[in-house]
Amino acid sequence: MAALVGLRACFSALQLSSPGLLHSSFKLCAVPLSRRTFAAEAKKVYSRDKPHVNIGTIGHVDHGKTTLTAAITKVLAEAGGANYKKYEDIDNAPEEKARGITINASHVEYTTANRHYAHTDCPGHADYVKNMITGTAQMDGCILVVAGTDGQMPQTREHLLLARQIGVEHVVVFINKADAVEDKEMLELVEIEIRELLTEFGYDGENTPVVIGSALCALENKEPELGVNAVMKLLEVVDNYVPLPKRELEKPFLLPIEGSYSIPGRGTVVSGTLERGIIKKGDDAEFVGHNRNIKSVVTGIEMFHKSLDRAEAGDNLGALIRGIKREDVRRGMVMCKPGSIQPHRKVKAQVYILSKEEGGRHKPFVTNFMPVMFSLTWDMSCRVTLPPEKDMVMPGEDTPLMLTLRQPMILEKGQRFTLRDGNKTIGTGLVTDILPFSDEDAQIRWG
Amino acid sequence: MSLTFLFRTITRDVAKVSFCQHVQSLHTGCHLLAAEKALLMTLRKSTGYTFTNCKKALEKFDNDMKQAEAWLHEQAQKEGWNKANKLEGRKAKEGLIGLYIGDKAAVMVEVNCETDFVARNEKFQQLVKDVTFTTLAHHQNKNRSKAGYVKSILSGDEVCKLSTDDGASLADCVALTIGRLGENMSVKRAVTLSVPAEWNVSSYVHGGVSGQTDVAMGRYGALVVFQGGKDGEQHTLGRKLGQHIVGEAPLTLGNMDDLPCGESETRLLPQTFLGDPSRTVAEFLRGQQARVLDFVRFQRGEITEDAK
Repeated sequence: MAALVGLRACFSALQLSSPGLLHSSFKLCAVPLSRRTFAAEAKKVYSRDKPHVNIGTIGHVDHGKTTLTAAITKVLAEAGGANYKKYEDIDNAPEEKARGITINASHVEYTTANRHYAHTDCPGHADYVKNMITGTAQMDGCILVVAGTDGQMPQTREHLLLARQIGVEHVVVFINKADAVEDKEMLELVEIEIRELLTEFGYDGENTPVVIGSALCALENKEPELGVNAVMKLLEVVDNYVPLPKRELEKPFLLPIEGSYSIPGRGTVVSGTLERGIIKKGDDAEFVGHNRNIKSVVTGIEMFHKSLDRAEAGDNLGALIRGIKREDVRRGMVMCKPGSIQPHRKVKAQVYILSKEEGGRHKPFVTNFMPVMFSLTWDMSCRVTLPPEKDMVMPGEDTPLMLTLRQPMILEKGQRFTLRDGNKTIGTGLVTDILPFSDEDAQIRWG
Repeated sequence: MSLTFLFRTITRDVAKVSFCQHVQSLHTGCHLLAAEKALLMTLRKSTGYTFTNCKKALEKFDNDMKQAEAWLHEQAQKEGWNKANKLEGRKAKEGLIGLYIGDKAAVMVEVNCETDFVARNEKFQQLVKDVTFTTLAHHQNKNRSKAGYVKSILSGDEVCKLSTDDGASLADCVALTIGRLGENMSVKRAVTLSVPAEWNVSSYVHGGVSGQTDVAMGRYGALVVFQGGKDGEQHTLGRKLGQHIVGEAPLTLGNMDDLPCGESETRLLPQTFLGDPSRTVAEFLRGQQARVLDFVRFQRGEITEDAK
């Protein structure tokens, strides 16, 4: 009885105090809340209503790449598609840390009527290559900036060579500083010359769009024909000439398996993050990797304990599969559309080896070095073969390498991976080619 | 009456003639321009100077290609200096190490530029080559009479004062290349050595550029002076040692009997040998009956302006 009274007293006290508590807590957070609104204003929500494209600028240091970038943001800021960035804001090219790798690059974003762009500019060849390997800003197209006063520089050849090397298919030319050229025929000559050079490097020089203008005029609001209008025209040309990259959703599905579980009464479930494509209930699926190849059907998809009819790339999901035991599939395998991907043992790759400052090795390595390769959800030891012209690889440099895996694993062109040795990440790379596995390679002793 | 008729016909004829002439002159004007354009293109292609300058040159010498070209070369030197002065102070930490081994003599230089695009360009590589050979020639002239081991380290300024075969100073060469490529460049340092007949000097260059045959160029370079080694294998031995020096970056030579002290060993001889991790460099050398006497290692951009 006494206990009951005590309990009631307690309860009434709680009732009494709870509004007070609530009130005070409201008071407490009232101040920070009002302050927080500023932060909320500063951070806008990115709306995904336009397709996204990555572009970059290349060209000689003094030909006005940064001025052009500033001009683009200025012109588009007037149309509401960008924040105006001054020359000084862009030019300081901060050192970015992507996957622990330092890349000198400046990133700017803007929106045209049709697309959203991320614009990258790097000072050096090595930085563009690092960019390509880490995939921080893969370029779908690029703008080659040439000053009308100078014409192409001797190093323009190296710029185009780089564009080829990092797989840029579409180049648009902007002939800058046209306001400083008195004779308009000279600009024509510059144009002819650059078209010849583009053709020499295997681009479609005849049909490559060339825009003549002056980024400086656009910045200073002078001569609209060369300034603002030229920049607008350039953006229009980029909009039309650089095609949209194929989106992940359109590709055949691929689910790297993170784990497999058996659910009593239902069957086996594999979990993972869908890398690309779309999975629907009832889809045929193939399990590849770790020397296994099993076919099955997806009978159910779940995300956060809720059942779905379809899952898209990027979703973290569990898939119920028919007629497979938990032990049959394991982490490191993939579930994919049948026949869409194959395991391989030998690949050619472009690899960046981390410098000591970036947390990598401080010593070079030579052929037959055996690191562990990590990609998707698998890891496998592999053997390094250097290209014939190289004797060793120093930390902090990028290099093509041949990698032979101990067992075949899911690998395809364009796949990214990390190399580790002991407890250190030593490098990161991109598969550039799949090579056939020869008898000679089978002789490797894996100690 | 007839008089007025005559007058009329005459004026008409005159008018016709003058009109025709006008048309003709217009036509020749067009023709001239087209020819000028072609000339401008050829001049630009053959010399590689900027369009603006090529045009100026053609205008100045009334489309005389030879004079225009000569003037352009002259102008390039001047403009190179202008440009060099303008660009001075811009960070140049890319570039190349140039290395050449002659008859018992060797030279290694570092030339810097702003971006690695330029470092890949053959015009820049030509500059590195010029600097390398000029420094070597200077060294050989100075030390002709001396026998024995001579090693001299030159700073960038000292190297710039040397003059090439055609009489221009290296500073002029650098300025000319700056004018051409539009980037700041500088000769950072150089080292030259000559060894007595019974010694060997060998080298290794890493991160090299293809296409250069006489002067090896790359991001890292090492010179090794050693004695002994099995006959016919000295070249491979030197190369292996050079590779080790580039890779492990030793700071001092050390003694043959030094005990290795772990991963952070900075003395060459007690370091673990790169080509055979089961042995130290000293052990490897004993096996080869060789002795390392000296070494030099250059890494591109390792000396920054601030450190100076």
